[in-house]
Amino acid sequence: MAPRFKVSFFQYSKVFKNTTVISITILSFFLILFSKSDLFLINNIKSISSNIINPATYIISSPIKMASNIVNQYNQFKSLKFENKMLQEEIIRLKKWQTLAIQNSRENRVLKNLLQATDNNLNLVKTASLTNRNDALFSKLININAGYEDKIKINMSAINERGLIGKVVHTHRNNSRILLLTDPNMSVSVKTISDGSFSLLSGLGDDKYLVSSFIKGNKMPKIGDIVVTSGTAQIFPVDLLVGKIAKIKKDRFYVLPFVDFNNIDYVQIVTSE
Amino acid sequence: MFSKVLSPFLYFNIILLFSFSVSVNSFVEIQIVNIVFYIFFHLTFIYYLFYHYHYSIFCIGFVYGLLLDIFLLNSISAHLLSIIILILIFILMKKYLFLLSPFRISLTIYFTLIITLFSEAFFVFLFNNINFTISKFANYLIISIIIFIPSIFIFNKIDK
Repeated sequence: MAPRFKVSFFQYSKVFKNTTVISITILSFFLILFSKSDLFLINNIKSISSNIINPATYIISSPIKMASNIVNQYNQFKSLKFENKMLQEEIIRLKKWQTLAIQNSRENRVLKNLLQATDNNLNLVKTASLTNRNDALFSKLININAGYEDKIKINMSAINERGLIGKVVHTHRNNSRILLLTDPNMSVSVKTISDGSFSLLSGLGDDKYLVSSFIKGNKMPKIGDIVVTSGTAQIFPVDLLVGKIAKIKKDRFYVLPFVDFNNIDYVQIVTSE
Repeated sequence: MFSKVLSPFLYFNIILLFSFSVSVNSFVEIQIVNIVFYIFFHLTFIYYLFYHYHYSIFCIGFVYGLLLDIFLLNSISAHLLSIIILILIFILMKKYLFLLSPFRISLTIYFTLIITLFSEAFFVFLFNNINFTISKFANYLIISIIIFIPSIFIFNKIDK
């Protein structure tokens, strides 16, 4: 009769440890290799992290959020008097503009009827509020409280009252992630209002400027020109406000976005009709 | 002082969880908090790895690396890769680290922190095309110098 082969607890635990270490290492490299693909596993990991872990981290970091709010309130209080004066001046200025805008709008409608032009009106999918932001360290991402249950899909445009914010890069049931215009991996095709020259803009990663990565026909626009989306890439609807050309260096121009990316509370998800 | 109430294992995990939560949620008014806690998270993880190595740290590193990548980059790459490589290198070098004096170990922890942050930035550039500026790295260096000694002091208190 063959002797019984005894495996001690120590051996068991060593085998278990080695298996864990090797399997985690292999799984890590597998995830890194396929992270950009649309795998079910990767989508599920992203969904779990967005739906469960993201709110949990928000609750855990709430003391810092409170401190941040106190700093914000103090800053607002400090500049209250100055801001009040500025707002009074702005109200007077805007009232003049409003009268002019109403006149122009009527004129525009009449001219469109005469030309029988097709409208490029936007189709509002959903207005959502910002839940939290992950834009301080690497990528410029924000999270909103609306997902595919609200008919939000990947690549839809996000705007606010000032102009284009970015595009949807991930949707889950009740939340979505938006990649901001200022992200270096974001690219948007634009045209200038003055002469309609086309170019591609991408984020500089400094939270301030967008930089041209391609200019059609090497036709350099002027400083102060307003750029809007051209709609040629079929991602963003046409004529969404992007920003103003602030500086030109060598063969590139820098655009200052109209949107204040530090003060986003609500976003509208839109598509072209 | 700390260890009388809860075990160091629990304390370090609470610190890791809190610093991770703060570093992945941006605060517009005090943005430096994100960078401070991001570096503090790495420092805590490296200290925990050096002084309390257990194979379960592979699972902890895997989860945090994965989540950091998803929250900060929206794709799994730089953080997970650096953390796994860091743990693997530590396992290989462990026997030599036992021979070092406490001061030298502290220095090793500091340089490991800098190398980890730098390698993450390099991997982010490689995989996600996000440039890393010298000013940003100088920022990392200064903050890590400032927070290193107080953090090690707190960790020692937790351990004792």
